[in-house]
Amino acid sequence: MVAFRNTDTSGRTTGLLLRCVLYSLVALALIIVDKRYDHLGRIRRMLSIVAYPVQIAVASPFEGWDWFRESVSSRGALRADKAKLEAELRLAQFRLQRYEALEAESQRLRALRNSTAGLTNRFVIGDVMDVDLDAFRERVLVDKGAQDGVFVGQAVLDAGGVFGQVARVGQLTAEVILVSDATHAIPVQINRNGLRTIAVGTGDMGRLKLPYLSTSADVVVGDLLVTSGLGGGFPAGYPVGTVAEVKRDPAQSLADVDVKPAAALDRSRELMFVWLKPQATTPVPAAAATSATSATSAAPAASAGHVAPMPAPAQSQSAAAMPTKTPPPAKNPPPAKTPPPAGANDE
Amino acid sequence: MMRDTRIRRLPMALSALVALALAVLPLPSVLETLRPDFLVLVVFYWSIESPRAGGLTLAFMAGLALDVIQGVVLGQHALALTLMAAWATHLRLRLRVFSILSQCLTIFALLTGYQFILFWVDGATGNPVTAFGRWLAPVIGAFLWPLLVGTLSRLHER
Repeated sequence: MVAFRNTDTSGRTTGLLLRCVLYSLVALALIIVDKRYDHLGRIRRMLSIVAYPVQIAVASPFEGWDWFRESVSSRGALRADKAKLEAELRLAQFRLQRYEALEAESQRLRALRNSTAGLTNRFVIGDVMDVDLDAFRERVLVDKGAQDGVFVGQAVLDAGGVFGQVARVGQLTAEVILVSDATHAIPVQINRNGLRTIAVGTGDMGRLKLPYLSTSADVVVGDLLVTSGLGGGFPAGYPVGTVAEVKRDPAQSLADVDVKPAAALDRSRELMFVWLKPQATTPVPAAAATSATSATSAAPAASAGHVAPMPAPAQSQSAAAMPTKTPPPAKNPPPAKTPPPAGANDE
Repeated sequence: MMRDTRIRRLPMALSALVALALAVLPLPSVLETLRPDFLVLVVFYWSIESPRAGGLTLAFMAGLALDVIQGVVLGQHALALTLMAAWATHLRLRLRVFSILSQCLTIFALLTGYQFILFWVDGATGNPVTAFGRWLAPVIGAFLWPLLVGTLSRLHER
């Protein structure tokens, strides 16, 4: 401090210019290192701890107000709330009755196909913090970070469906990029007919679009889109949105399809971080043998408990389903053997 | 002299912290795009008012804080803020004798330059934000300038 005050009094403009150039070069170096290499992750994580008090200080009055309003809300309102929640719970339990059986059946069928894509393993709930990030990017800050095992690329759900994925992890916080962000894309499938495509964000929280469907594609208003599990980042079968509008211009080769997201992107306060199941076909030893090719990536995954290297096996297996690839002939005999033990094991 | 600087540093740090909090304060999404860059205005104020007490160091640190809090590429706001604060420091003697309208126009130019550097770094690092809304912040910031000068000068003359 004293040093630059000296330069400031001796040669005012040269000192200013010198310091300006110096700081600018440091900033440029930071930009390049942060963009090109991954070394700054630790520094950023530490800086995010420094930023945490500011974020807490801003968020806490709002949380305090929420708490206050909740604690002074009337008995009648609470009773009405309780009745509503009980009704919802009854409905949910009613729907859940068949779920166990369906889940088991689905696992059996997946074991037959030797596919593990998109089975979820474990959840952690995080709260959205009341702070605004960049106004022009659809992101939220959540109070779970590296110390809870959250990792970059992790799928995030809310009660309605797919919310987004983790874009950046701090020690105590994580930034989640919403499915509606203009730079976000997610592999989806139309639930009615299994048609696969990609849903891309628009920068508008109430709208996604499907830019890669041809005008003759079988898509109608009201179709439910679910995650396809391809690419391995997201678990399969979770709702992404419903088709809101289909515009078919005969002059164009691609249809213009708008989708209303299933998650409450602008309202959700509780989000679920999802860990994908490393390998679902555990009961079958033969299956373990067939997956020996991917053992190198599966082994650390199993030991870590939660999974970063999941994408690789999922992708290779979904690719193996295509007829054009060479691996299937080599892989086919073992899966043909696996069904009997799988069936025997389940009965 | 030493005491002089220390007295100036406290309001400087305080105002920067408050501005940082205002930068992340949750707003309804309609107002969110109109949010002026409070911290940038505060940094400009101090670079014009007392460049010796903090000057570019304050600008660089404030920029880094914005980078971390907004979760963008590290160094982006630091670069933009350093360059524009240097320009503001360079112009400060002229700025002090300007009428309030000319001051606002100069601040508008500085804020637009700041926004342009951010825009450029966004594009260069491969996630451009082309929304028109980002060019509104300089206009609002320039309108807010007289208010900010009034508040801050009262704060640090006391």
